[in-house]
Amino acid sequence: MLKGFGNFLLKELKELMRDPKILLGMIIIPVIMFPVLGAVINFSMQSAQESAAKTVVLILNHDTGGNSTEFIVYLNSSVRALEVNVSTIDDAVPLLSTYNASEIVEIPANFSQNVAAKKAVYVKFYSVYSGAGILEGIGSSLVDSLVQQFNRNVAPDVVLPEKSVIIKGKVLEGVDPRVLSTLMLSQAIAMPITMLILLTYSMQIAATSVAMEKEEKTLETVLTLPMDRFSILMGKLSGSTIIAGVSAAAYMFGLNYYLGSFTGLTSAGASLDLVALGLVPSLFGYLLLGVSLFVALLSALALAVIMSAFAENVRSAQSLVSYLYPLFFVPSFALMYLDINVLPFWLRIVLYAIPYSHPIIASKAVVMGDYLTVVLGIAYVAAFTLVIMYLASRLFATEKILTAKLKLRGLRKREKPLAE
Amino acid sequence: MFRRKGALGLSVAVEAASVVKVFGNIRALDGLDFSVHAGEIFGLIGPNGAGKTTALRIISTLLLPTSGSLKVFGLDVVQSAAEVREVITYLPEEAGPYPNLSGWEYLEFMAKFTTKNKDELGRIVKEAAEICGLGERLKDRAKTYSKGMKRRLLVARALMTKPKLAVLDEPTSGLDVLHSYHVREIIKRYVRERGVTVVLSSHNMLEVEHLCERVVLLNKGKIVAEGKPQQLKEKFGSANLEEVFAKVVGFA
Repeated sequence: MLKGFGNFLLKELKELMRDPKILLGMIIIPVIMFPVLGAVINFSMQSAQESAAKTVVLILNHDTGGNSTEFIVYLNSSVRALEVNVSTIDDAVPLLSTYNASEIVEIPANFSQNVAAKKAVYVKFYSVYSGAGILEGIGSSLVDSLVQQFNRNVAPDVVLPEKSVIIKGKVLEGVDPRVLSTLMLSQAIAMPITMLILLTYSMQIAATSVAMEKEEKTLETVLTLPMDRFSILMGKLSGSTIIAGVSAAAYMFGLNYYLGSFTGLTSAGASLDLVALGLVPSLFGYLLLGVSLFVALLSALALAVIMSAFAENVRSAQSLVSYLYPLFFVPSFALMYLDINVLPFWLRIVLYAIPYSHPIIASKAVVMGDYLTVVLGIAYVAAFTLVIMYLASRLFATEKILTAKLKLRGLRKREKPLAE
Repeated sequence: MFRRKGALGLSVAVEAASVVKVFGNIRALDGLDFSVHAGEIFGLIGPNGAGKTTALRIISTLLLPTSGSLKVFGLDVVQSAAEVREVITYLPEEAGPYPNLSGWEYLEFMAKFTTKNKDELGRIVKEAAEICGLGERLKDRAKTYSKGMKRRLLVARALMTKPKLAVLDEPTSGLDVLHSYHVREIIKRYVRERGVTVVLSSHNMLEVEHLCERVVLLNKGKIVAEGKPQQLKEKFGSANLEEVFAKVVGFA
């Protein structure tokens, strides 16, 4: 038995557990955060399933027989199947937005004849790819299962699906939406995870930098120097921002390579290339995504600087900054799974209000060429950043930068009585 | 007594009038009145919690007085804080340099707030190097320095730019006998040679007795005695300032 181990361990636990910042940051926040994340994911799954049940399927029927009518009725039992009076798939595509549809089923002229003869018939399924998230394939899967059930009722393998996707209004024949979704899954996860790492890491750098100045009392020295106090704040933010900017650039480079390296097999066995499909951002898209990430980083760093001003030392600064993590974790996990557009209005407002949702929304939007969403997000986050930076500058202009500390009991802010 | 003129032609370097500082329920300073003559070494002495650091922080424009006024060479620390910062340097208690900068880089960084002229910059840093006496170790990162070396570096930083007023909070706190002696000699020599005014704090009363021309004794935010060390000893019939303080606050 190690001599003195038990006594020392007891002291260590007392010291750590009696620090309210550690208690809150390490135990209470995770205990609350993970159930919240679970609820978000659960809600996402439900909303995706509900949205799949509400799927509108446009039917382009070239068959005049009774079996195709029966097939449409069958589809209608689980999804909303709308027959459209156009002759080609190209004519049907513009109607997708009119009916808010996500699938087109093209029934060939020989459908009834083949079904009656129990001969295989190829039905074309066109799924719209909107870059919504990793649950996007649910609508397409539902149609698949309906076809299988129909076959069980009629004859095995009578109706054979021939799958294609519609991306940005363009029909890409022979591209299996499931293969595509699997490929895009990596993208749907990459941005939120990378953003989480980048933001938490950068905030820790900024918070540590300010807390170190306080702990080493170098801040007291520089506050008495003949210099503008706003310069101190800007110097701190710029230093952390440059590091974060380099990280963002490295991230953009890595992501570009990561996405470009992904290929998959189409149903015809051909190679599926995301670049060729137009499912990687354009140069302009990358630029916007970089700006979106950058302003989000800047606001996170300014928040970290403010939080660390209320800390007495490096350890408490890191704990205080960790209270902000739910602001990154919740939108990251939520938007990884669900399409923000299918959420209830109030939840959409909550997610849009969190500045750190916007780089994730932007990462999907730039792939789909929806630049307006990205620009509006950047404007919102930039405005938020300006407010935070103004608050930080006010803090640096007064003695609060030295005296303020957060009293966790009741979360009341109070002034620190000085020792001397 | 001959009084040297201060930097701005005034003979009073610091003038505090009824200075009060309150933190929440704590009255850290309770009506402080004192003045510091230009060119002298003035000591604020007292036990922990007496209000020494708070007073020095107000002089250095870090804290605002709750009431009362404090002027540095005629400049109000609230109204003219930026101008006050032009004429002072401040050494916080137990402050350190930036650990990942070398001593030389730290001195250069600090000197650049005073001058942009390269020759002048070189001269200031060279002078600081002489004051601190760290020699070749100035090329090493500050995190490799001992506590005494760091303190010598910081004292040199506070004096190298020839400030009109150097505010030194516990300049020898935590140092061994030799380093304390070295720092005290630096301060004494520099004030004598450059005519810099120094306001320092210490709870080491024997040290202050040796270093300061005049002192105020603080206890619980109030001045309990003021004068030259010798005068105070004679007045209270004590062998040293420690005894004076004990008598004043009723311990002896």
